[in-house]
Amino acid sequence: MSRAFEAVVTALADDELILGHRHSEWTGYAPHIEEDVAFASIAQDEIGHASSYYSLIAGAGHDVDALALGRPADAYRNAVICERPNTDWAFTLARHWLYDHADDIRSQALEQTSEPKLRQLVTKIRREERYHLLHADYWMKRVAQGPVEARSRIASAMASAFAEAGGLFEPFELEQEALEEGWLPVASPVLRTRFLEWATSALDELGLPGATGREETAPSEFVASSSGDLIAGEGSLAKEPAVVAEGGGRRGRHTDDLRELWIAMTTQYRENEGATW
Amino acid sequence: MEVFEVFRRAGHRDPFEHCGNVIAPDSDMALLLAKECFLRRQEGQHLWVVARSDIHSFSDESVLELAADKSYRFASAYRDVMHKRERAHDRVRELQVS
Repeated sequence: MSRAFEAVVTALADDELILGHRHSEWTGYAPHIEEDVAFASIAQDEIGHASSYYSLIAGAGHDVDALALGRPADAYRNAVICERPNTDWAFTLARHWLYDHADDIRSQALEQTSEPKLRQLVTKIRREERYHLLHADYWMKRVAQGPVEARSRIASAMASAFAEAGGLFEPFELEQEALEEGWLPVASPVLRTRFLEWATSALDELGLPGATGREETAPSEFVASSSGDLIAGEGSLAKEPAVVAEGGGRRGRHTDDLRELWIAMTTQYRENEGATW
Repeated sequence: MEVFEVFRRAGHRDPFEHCGNVIAPDSDMALLLAKECFLRRQEGQHLWVVARSDIHSFSDESVLELAADKSYRFASAYRDVMHKRERAHDRVRELQVS
């Protein structure tokens, strides 16, 4: 196993673990009981995917738990968007939708990897991710087409989530080596372009603005025609106004949000060495 | 939001059986939520959801009660038919002999 392989898989796993942890914080608090069960299940899925990714790079002295919970906070390589607090259901939903579509684009490319174990795992994970995509799409469509309060909350949440979504495609550590070794099929900047193309048209279809469309003062103005020109059109991709170029998470540059999450997530592991459950 | 009744079946040849309900804004969302609420441990391989408002029933279930003896509608009411037939055969044989 090359160092580049380890670095890329760590980032993939960290994204899933940290987002899965944030999702899990809704357990018991989701908008209604059915959604509570469904979203807790999605959280379990994401953490399960993280566990599978870690197992690809686990070895003597660093088992899956040690990789997931035994590293210092600044060793995590997740994108910053994954570590942000849930804030409200609208932000959680916006991030869930952006992340799962970004993950879909990323894993579609990874399915072509020449590393057999990674390929098999990605194929398996993608089967489960189909449900996540449906869940995110159904919710987004209903909220975006819902009453004014729902629309204004999702529009504002989408603006802040979208601003950091580009960080999911910040190049991995040792990405150049991974590309040269030949097993990483598509470079992150290429995937980022694909993601932005998808997001631009998907947001337009929902009548939601990207990050530049901050119109909180006039929520009733959120209609397809007024938001479309903020994010659609040929110019918007070239300027990429809505997405912060690099998040820093892939280089271990995190926010206090991750440190706060890390304390909650790793307390049991740190205080009860060798515990099993 | 409305109530959707959920039905699932264990295998392709099994009948759909009622297993509970979910509250959802529409049938797509109901299916999505029903999957996690009623099929998360591989209890079956297919799901239906039906809006409760699309299920029709008698408003007064007492119309389903039977007022008089309808035992003749049950197979158990005909247990002595075999004996009657044997007695009839015996009677025919007696008549043939005499």
